[in-house]
Amino acid sequence: MTKKTPLILWWRILAGCCLCHGVAASAADISAIIMDAEGKPVNDAVVMAFPAKAGAAAAKAGKVIIDQIDKEFVPRVMPIRAGTAVHFPNKDNTRHQVYSFSPAKKFELPLYAGKPASPVVFDKPGVVILGCNIHDWMLGYIYVADTPYFGKTDAEGKTTIGNLPPGDYTVKVWHPRMIDTEESTAWRVSAAVAMEAVWTLKLKPEFRIRRAPN
Amino acid sequence: MKLQFRRFQTRIIVLFLGLFTVVQVSAFISVYVAQLASARGQINAALEVGAGVFNRLVMERNNRLIEAARLLSGDFAFKSAYAVRERETVMSALQNNQARIGADLMMLVSLDGTVAADTTRAQTIGKPFEFPELIRAAEKNQFGEASVIVFIEGRAYQMVVVPLLVPQPDAWICTGFLLDDKFAGELEKLTLSQVSLLRESNSGWQMVASTLPPALRSQTTAALAENTMREQTSMSLRVGDTDYVSLISPLDKTQERRVVALLQRSLDEALNPVMQLLWVLAALSVTGLAVSFAFGILIARSVTRPVRLLVESAHKIEQGEYSHHADVHQRDEIGDLATAFNSMARGLEEKDRVRDLLGKVVSPEIARQLLSKKIELGGEELTATILFSDVRNFTALCENRSPIEILALVNAYLTKISTVIDAHGGVVDKYMGDAVMALFGVPVPHDNDPVRAVNTALGMRSALTELNVELAGRGMPQLGIGIGINTGIVVAGNMGSPTRLNYTVIGDGVNLASRLEALTKRYNVGIIVSETTMAAVPGMVFRELDKVRVKGKNVPVTIHEPVGRAGTLAVDTAEELKQYHAAVKFYRERELARARAEILSLLKARPGCRLYEIYLGYIDHFSSVGMKDDWDGSFVLYDK
Repeated sequence: MTKKTPLILWWRILAGCCLCHGVAASAADISAIIMDAEGKPVNDAVVMAFPAKAGAAAAKAGKVIIDQIDKEFVPRVMPIRAGTAVHFPNKDNTRHQVYSFSPAKKFELPLYAGKPASPVVFDKPGVVILGCNIHDWMLGYIYVADTPYFGKTDAEGKTTIGNLPPGDYTVKVWHPRMIDTEESTAWRVSAAVAMEAVWTLKLKPEFRIRRAPN
Repeated sequence: MKLQFRRFQTRIIVLFLGLFTVVQVSAFISVYVAQLASARGQINAALEVGAGVFNRLVMERNNRLIEAARLLSGDFAFKSAYAVRERETVMSALQNNQARIGADLMMLVSLDGTVAADTTRAQTIGKPFEFPELIRAAEKNQFGEASVIVFIEGRAYQMVVVPLLVPQPDAWICTGFLLDDKFAGELEKLTLSQVSLLRESNSGWQMVASTLPPALRSQTTAALAENTMREQTSMSLRVGDTDYVSLISPLDKTQERRVVALLQRSLDEALNPVMQLLWVLAALSVTGLAVSFAFGILIARSVTRPVRLLVESAHKIEQGEYSHHADVHQRDEIGDLATAFNSMARGLEEKDRVRDLLGKVVSPEIARQLLSKKIELGGEELTATILFSDVRNFTALCENRSPIEILALVNAYLTKISTVIDAHGGVVDKYMGDAVMALFGVPVPHDNDPVRAVNTALGMRSALTELNVELAGRGMPQLGIGIGINTGIVVAGNMGSPTRLNYTVIGDGVNLASRLEALTKRYNVGIIVSETTMAAVPGMVFRELDKVRVKGKNVPVTIHEPVGRAGTLAVDTAEELKQYHAAVKFYRERELARARAEILSLLKARPGCRLYEIYLGYIDHFSSVGMKDDWDGSFVLYDK
């Protein structure tokens, strides 16, 4: 095995910037860029900031929707805060049977059409892999985070965790295909000013799952 | 050793059989080679097709196995069971699925490469998976699927791996299907070839499964070890005592050690119909050979039998049996030959009869001369010596005797005379009653023809003496002969008319000889030769008789009588001859008195000698008449 190397390539403090934008001194932004080993931006990576002082953040469990459109989960990756209720509305004209065998949340929504009666509440942190019993290729991820501060990278591999109260944080990255553990991405930071950091992730190749023709 | 076939029959048979054998053997060989090549080609083609079918089957089978495994990996019930993460439940679910798809083993391997479940071997659970290459191959595949051949406890398995999707890959499901003799047997049905699965090992090839009988398996691997076989290229492999056209096709290219399928077809089996054809061909050849042999003998006999007959006939004809005819009745060239031969024999017979007769009618030399040349009128001028002989007073002898008696006498005489002539190489030209004309120098010249003629004359005289003794004994009258010999130019050839001709000689030389023979009576001597003959006979002493002028000739001829060989004469005879020649000399020189004295002296010693009396008469005549000035000393002969 290769020696574990820090995944953060570089970071810098963007103090001037904060001032320029006139952001309140009581809060800070963390901008993250995630790239793969080949230097390409990584989409759908979840970046989380865990405050050193647990329970500091206010509970703000809202309602989240993961649609099923054209026999795919939309969005495919959804970071949520633990305790969030997720609705799985079916917008296709076929039924779906959404399930998960993940230890973080085992559940099954027997074949349904339209909006299920009640949402599913994810109260245990961890990764929940979503599947559909009748459509093998439907694959979705819910990252149940134990923190209210997180973001998901866009197509350019970028995300920003904003309005972090000042304090010490541990920033981690997760991606469905990452080879290394989350812990290895950990970056301890004192959020006083705006900061920017770049991670490089080694990703497993993605297996394709045969999709039935529409 | 050089083979010689002296007999035509043998030659024909050898030729026939040889040709037939060469044709048959070459046909046989070419058919055999062509059929062998064709059979091999067919087997090769069949094997290649078989290999194609085989590869396709293996591929299809793999796909089917993967599909089955894939279905399993998507099975929600199994996923649910897996999600329970209870070893027994998972194992039970695996066994259930194994039974469902008819697999021989199933294993569940976690993503970290440890065996989570194994339906056949409990001892592997929790241990690292034995075939990491299988997982590596799957990881490289976009769908996470792979299929390789693995060997477990000496048995080969087609092992397929698919990811267990819950819904993302969470483990590897490995499904194994045994590659055993049964599997090989199924492939045999489809490829119509013997199928063996082989694995390369350090010690050569190891046979994993096969349709071959057990006895042939080790022989096959041994044969493979001796031959280097290229994949997808057929070659002949001798296993036991059978030739197999064999082809190897790779089964799994991912392995470090080759795993191949060996397809084989027995060449002997494929050649079976060819062999039957060849047997028929061989039987036909043997029959053909026998027929050719019989025909050869028949044809040879049809030629040699009449030829042998003809040879026998030729031998008989050689021995003089001209009347023998070859008995051949064939309507071909041989028949024509026999007919021609028989005609020839008849011709020879006729010619022989003619020759026989001719030899009796004319002398053998003339007969030969006549037969050897084209007979035509005309002749050539030659120098020849002519001898005439005649019996004295034959007419008187004939009186008071019967013709038969006379003929017997003449025949006895002529036989005796002719023998002497023949003995000296003379040729009897003709008999004219009791007279004989003989030739020396024609038709065959010798270098001493005059000598032969004179010797013949002397011989005839001796023979006559013997004959006279015989005749006296039989109370027959005594015979006396006169002989005339001349040497001169004559014309020799065939004379007469085109239908009736005669080989003879004519000319002055012949006439003179006849005259000389006639003169013997006048001079009362036995033999008279001309001066030309005398000149050509050295070593003989002659008496000059006279110088005569023959009728119709201006030049006088000196005539002589042979006395004896030089050195054999008695002294008094030589003296007498000398005195006589001196007297003749005197006479010629017109000294008649001296001549007369000599002649009288000679007459006194030999009274009544005709020659001396003739000379005395000449001298008396000239003494009384007187000699003409132009007298040349010759006597003119007017009568014959």
